[in-house]
Amino acid sequence: MSSEYPSFFTSEEMSLVQIYIPSETAHSTISELAELGVVQIKDLNPSVSSFQRPFTPRLRRLAEAARRLRLFEGQIKSLSPPLGIPPLSAIPPFPTVGPRAQNAYDELEERLKEHEKKLSDINRSFEELSKRRGELEEKSSVLKETAGFFNEAEHRHTEIRTSFDDGDGTQPLLEHAAEYGTLPGDSGLSGFDLEFVSGTIERTRMPTFERILWRILRGNLYMNYAEIEEPFVDATSGKETVKDVFIIFAHGAELLGKIRKVSESMGATLYTIDSSQDKRADALREVSTRLEDTDQVLNNINQTRRVELSKIAENLEAWKDAIRREEEVYKTMNLLSYDQGRKTLVAEAWCPTRDLTNIQLGLRRAMETAGTSVPAILSELRTHQTPPTYFQTNKVTEPFQAMMDAYGIPTYQEISAGTIAVVTFPFLYGLMFSDTFHGFLVLLTGAALIFYEKKLSQKKLDEMLGMLFFGRYNLLLMGIFSMYAGFMYNDFASKSVTIWQSGWEWPEDANGTVAAESTGKVYPFGLDPAWNGAVNSLQFTNSLKMKLAIVIGVLHMTFGICLQVPNHIRFKQRISIYVEFIPQILFLWSIFGYLIVLIIAKWATDWSKSATGPPGLLNLLIGIFLSPGTVDPATQMYPGQAFVQVTLLLIAVACVPVHLLGKPYFLYREHQRVVGQGYRGLTGQENGHPTSDVDEDEEDGVGQAVADEGHEEHPWDFADIMVHQVIHTIEFCLGCISNTASYLRLWALSLAHSQLSDVLWTMTIEKAFLFEGGIVVQSVFIFFMFAMWLALTVFILCCMEGLGSFLHAVRLHWVEFNSKFAMCTGIAFQPLSFAFEDDDADA
Amino acid sequence: MAFLHVVFVGLVIAAIAAAAWFLTPRGKNQVLIRSSVTLTLICCYLMWAITYLAQLHPLIAPRKSDLRHAEY
Repeated sequence: MSSEYPSFFTSEEMSLVQIYIPSETAHSTISELAELGVVQIKDLNPSVSSFQRPFTPRLRRLAEAARRLRLFEGQIKSLSPPLGIPPLSAIPPFPTVGPRAQNAYDELEERLKEHEKKLSDINRSFEELSKRRGELEEKSSVLKETAGFFNEAEHRHTEIRTSFDDGDGTQPLLEHAAEYGTLPGDSGLSGFDLEFVSGTIERTRMPTFERILWRILRGNLYMNYAEIEEPFVDATSGKETVKDVFIIFAHGAELLGKIRKVSESMGATLYTIDSSQDKRADALREVSTRLEDTDQVLNNINQTRRVELSKIAENLEAWKDAIRREEEVYKTMNLLSYDQGRKTLVAEAWCPTRDLTNIQLGLRRAMETAGTSVPAILSELRTHQTPPTYFQTNKVTEPFQAMMDAYGIPTYQEISAGTIAVVTFPFLYGLMFSDTFHGFLVLLTGAALIFYEKKLSQKKLDEMLGMLFFGRYNLLLMGIFSMYAGFMYNDFASKSVTIWQSGWEWPEDANGTVAAESTGKVYPFGLDPAWNGAVNSLQFTNSLKMKLAIVIGVLHMTFGICLQVPNHIRFKQRISIYVEFIPQILFLWSIFGYLIVLIIAKWATDWSKSATGPPGLLNLLIGIFLSPGTVDPATQMYPGQAFVQVTLLLIAVACVPVHLLGKPYFLYREHQRVVGQGYRGLTGQENGHPTSDVDEDEEDGVGQAVADEGHEEHPWDFADIMVHQVIHTIEFCLGCISNTASYLRLWALSLAHSQLSDVLWTMTIEKAFLFEGGIVVQSVFIFFMFAMWLALTVFILCCMEGLGSFLHAVRLHWVEFNSKFAMCTGIAFQPLSFAFEDDDADA
Repeated sequence: MAFLHVVFVGLVIAAIAAAAWFLTPRGKNQVLIRSSVTLTLICCYLMWAITYLAQLHPLIAPRKSDLRHAEY
C-alpha cells in the first residue's frame, strides 16, 4: 500500500481499475470522474474507427452546437459598440449533470438552432438592404458628380453652338447630347449623336479601364471621372472600397454598347441618368429620400440584431462551458466498451492508488445525482503493464517538476530530480547570476507575483506573463540564491559592500600602484571588499570562481550518481550497485574528487611558511595522466604524493572494465542459472530476473482479475546488453571529464555578469559623476544617466542575463545531473478532466 | 587555526540541519521541507566555506593604482 503522504521524489503508485457503469448512470459517472481529475481512461476499442463508435452521432450534434456558439461569439465580438459577455462566474450554471441534464441539453440545442435561424434571417435582410443602400449611395454620388460635368459641358455647349450656328444653322443640336470640342476624331462635326454612359468603378481599375476603352473605341470617346471621397463599406465583410464616378460620352449606339460591355466586364456599375438638369435633380431628391428610408430600416434591423445577440451573450459562457463538458464526457464514453445486452459500460482506467477511496465516493455521488439505485462498481486489476507516471506536485514543486519532465518523463516510480531541483536549480542559477542587487530585483518580481497570486490566477494571462506566473516560486528562490551568491562574491551592481573589517590595509603613502597588506584577519563572510576595483581583482576572483565551479560541479554529479542507488533497489537490480554505482563513484572521485581535495589542501596550507612552493593544480592533474609516478619536488604537497596519485590512477583505470563487463557478466550468469533450472520463456520472465516475489503477488491477488494483455516479451539478447553497456561506459567516462569542464560555465557566466555590470556602471553613472560643468547640468546629466543605467540594468542584466543563466542552469540539470541517474522511459499520466488548458474559443 | 573555523561552522550547520529535520511537522509537505532545508544549508555552507578558505592564505595581495585616502 502507498504511504500516508505522497513522496515528492518518486511518481505515485498507480492502479489499473475496471469500472462497470450501468448505462443510466454513465453520464453522471463520467462527469464525476472528470471532476475528480485523477483517472486516465484507457481506450478499450482501439480497433474501432471513430465513425463507428456509439456516441459519435451525439458528438457530431454537440460539435454543431459548438459551431453555432462560435458563430454567435464571433458576431457578438464584432458588434460596435462592443457588447460585454458576462464571465462564467457571473451567470447561473447550466445543469450539466443530473436527471434533467439530458433535457436541458436537448432544449439548448433547439434554442441554439432557433437563434441561428433568427440571426441568419436578420443578417440576410440586413445584407440585402445594405447592398441596396450601397447602390443608392453610388447613384447619389454619380448624380452629384456628373452634375459638374454637365455644367461644364453646358457651358462649352453654348460656345460650340454658336460656331455650329454659323456653319449649319438648320440642324438643331440634339437636346440630350453633350459634346466637347476637342474630342478626337470628330473633325467632321456633322451628325453627332453623342450620348453617354455613366457609372462607378473601383479606383484601382480606373487606369486600365480608360486604356482599354481608348484602344477599343480608337479614341472616339470623351471620358471624365471624379473620385468619390468616402469609401464604400461592404456591410457583410466590412471591406472598404474606394470608387470613382465616370461618365463617358461617345457617339453611336454601337460604341455605347461596346462601352457598356467593357464596363460590365471590368466590374463597373452603370447607372442611367438623365441629361436634363431638372430630371437629375428630381432623381437625386428621390434617391436621398430612399436612402433615408433604407437607413431607418437598417437601423431597426441593427437594433433587433443587437437585442438578439445580447440575449445570447447573457448565457454564452455557460453554454460554451456546458457544451465543452458534454463533448468531453461523450468523447470519454466512446472509449468505453459498450455491452448492449447487459446495459452496462465497462471502463478500464489508471488512477493513483491513493485516490481509490475518493473515486469510490465519487461513483456513489454520481449514482445519487443520476437518481438511480444502481452504483457503478469498481474493481482493481492486477497487471504487468507499466502504469503511467504521475507526480503529485504543489505550487512550489510544479515548475521544477515540469522542467525535469521536459527532459524526459521519468520511468514509473523512478527517482525524479523535481524536488531536489527546488534548491539545486536556484542555487546553480544564483552562482551564475551572482549579484545582490539584480538578485533582489528578481526576488521582487517573484514576490509580487506571489503576493497577487489570487488575483492573477483568476485572470487569463498572456504567454509571457503566464510563464512567469507559473514559475513564480522559482523566481523567488532564484532571487534569494542570487542575493546570497552576490553577498559571497561581494557584488552589488558591480560595487562591493563592506560589512565587516576588511582583511587588507592600504599603505598610507599611496603613489602609483600599491599593494595592500594583510592584517592577518580573514573577511568572515564572502569576498573581501578590498578586491573590488583592485588591478588584479580578476586574477583572484577567477581563481576562486573557477575552483568553486569545479567543487560544486563534482559534488553535484556525485549526488546525481548517488541517486542511482534507490533506483537500483526499487527496480531490483542490486547487482548494479556493485558493478555500476561503485565503479562510477570511484572513477569520479579518484580523478576529480582528488582534485577537490588538492584544491582545499592548497587553500588550507600557509605557503609562506611551507618549505615547498604552491603547485599549479591544473598541471598537476595533467601530470597524473601524462607522467604518472613523478611529482615535481619543488611543489610537492605531501610525502608519498606520487604513490597516492599512481594508486588513484590505477583505481580509475580498473573501474572501466568492471563497469563495462560487470553487469553483462552477472546477467549472463543469471540467465544460465535460469536456463539450467529448466525454465524457458513461458512467463516472460526470461530476461534473467526470476524474481521471487512474483509468488507473493499472486498470493495477494487471489480473486482479483488479471489484465495481462499488452504484456511485452523481452527475448534475452546478450549482444544487446553488451552494446548498451559499452555505450553507457563510454558515455560515463568521457562524460565525467566533459561534464566537469561543463560546470566551468558557473564561473564563466558569473564573470561575464560582473564584467557587464561593471562596464555598465562606468559607462553611465560614473561618467555622470565625473562630469564637470555646473551643478545644474551635472544634475540633469546624472538624472538621465541614472535612468539609462536602471533601464539597461533591468533589460540587459536582469532579463537577458537572467534568461541566459536560467538556460545554463537548466542545461546543467538536464545534461550533467539527470544523465547520471535518470532513465526517463515513462509515459505521462493524462487524467480525464474538465480543466481546459487551451482556450480554443478563438479558433 | 583558521581551518578549524570552517569545520566548526560545518558542525553548527549540521546541527541546524539535524534540528530542522526532526522539527519539521508531519504532513503533506514534510519531505519537501526537509529536503529543501537540508539542501539549502549544504549549498550555502559550501559556497561560504569555499570563499572563506580561498582567502585563508592568499598567494596574491590586492593592488590598486587609483587609491584615494580620504575615502578609506
